[in-house]
Amino acid sequence: MFFHIVLERNMQLHPRHFGRNLRDNIVAKLMKDVEGTCSGRHGFVVAITGIENIGKGLIRDGTGFVSFPVKYQCVVFRPFKGEILEAVVTMVNKMGFFAEAGPVQIFVSNHLIPDDMEFQSGDMPNYTTSDGSVKIQKDSEVRLKIIGTRVDATEIFCIGTIKDDFLGVINDPAAA
Amino acid sequence: MEKGATLKSKGKEGSFKGKDDSSIKSKYGRKVRINFEGPLEPKTLSSPKYVGKDDTPFPKGYSSKGGKGDKIANGGKTPAKEPQPLELKIELELPENVKCISMMDCEAASILQGIQDQMVTLSKDPELKLPVPFDKGLQYAKRGVHYTNPQSVRKVLETLTKHGVSNSELCVIANVGPESVDEVFSLVPSLKAKRSKLSEPLKGVLSELAKLKESANLASQLEEESQHGGKSTQGGKFT
Repeated sequence: MFFHIVLERNMQLHPRHFGRNLRDNIVAKLMKDVEGTCSGRHGFVVAITGIENIGKGLIRDGTGFVSFPVKYQCVVFRPFKGEILEAVVTMVNKMGFFAEAGPVQIFVSNHLIPDDMEFQSGDMPNYTTSDGSVKIQKDSEVRLKIIGTRVDATEIFCIGTIKDDFLGVINDPAAA
Repeated sequence: MEKGATLKSKGKEGSFKGKDDSSIKSKYGRKVRINFEGPLEPKTLSSPKYVGKDDTPFPKGYSSKGGKGDKIANGGKTPAKEPQPLELKIELELPENVKCISMMDCEAASILQGIQDQMVTLSKDPELKLPVPFDKGLQYAKRGVHYTNPQSVRKVLETLTKHGVSNSELCVIANVGPESVDEVFSLVPSLKAKRSKLSEPLKGVLSELAKLKESANLASQLEEESQHGGKSTQGGKFT
């Protein structure tokens, strides 16, 4: 899910950036440093939407660099346990399949795929029901539920399930 | 192994491994279904006879695997365990001292689209480039959009807040675009506790959302048609 969130960060700036454009420089550096990063706590920082305020700078002893506390608003994307997502399948193998919802990768193990779906190998590996009516392959869209997230400093990894009511394939590229 | 798995999941919510998951989940999935059928009937019919009737098949179905123990676990666990995954976590995991508002996909899409449009005008500067997660995020937000007007969706859904539905739950409902009340309760299990109170208002909200969705579909269809029309005339010129 997307969130609008206010974060704070200390920006260290070299004195050559000071002057009339100080604020712009701080903001530009902030965007470069923060956008696209992933923090375990907040998720993927997708975009900065505004600056709340920039505090007084503090000279770092010995270096001449000055650090400014910056409060900024941003849009983050963070999956959480129990969330329902619509994801696009990126890879299928006999262990299960990987899907992608925005910047987040989700793995669905074959234990969490309904029992009536069997793995079919071949050049387009897929999971198919015995009557062939439902097929999960690359580029299928599935609705899944996140049951676990592993969050570390730079990435978020999710485990999902489609073995529940109202979950599963929502759009089959082969059928279309 | 079972014991270990449940212990682990209780002790540390965050640490998930494939195997533990599946054992928990398969149990969980089964329970959901039973719970689902159980309280639904007695509540809608609300006669003591049905409750009695409903009670008997319960242990029967379960006696083959675990009997009493399972029943107790079923009664005790579902309310304790299910509301947790959705809303509680989200507030806990994000630090309290920061302002944080969950957004619907359609809201995110409009904000991100705005940023991208703005970026196009600034893009002379090669230093300023939008990162990959931005594109992916935008793509994702746009794909999942069922509605054209985020404000109206928000307005419709906000009627549920007075029934104690949290903001994040509203967003999940908006993003998923469920068609029936049962679907909502199945996908957002934390709402089940308020099922009797919520069913009616939810029904209204879903029908409102369906209307919004339909109008959005119509709009996109019209757009597509006009585009197609343009193309076909062009094609006509060429031949």
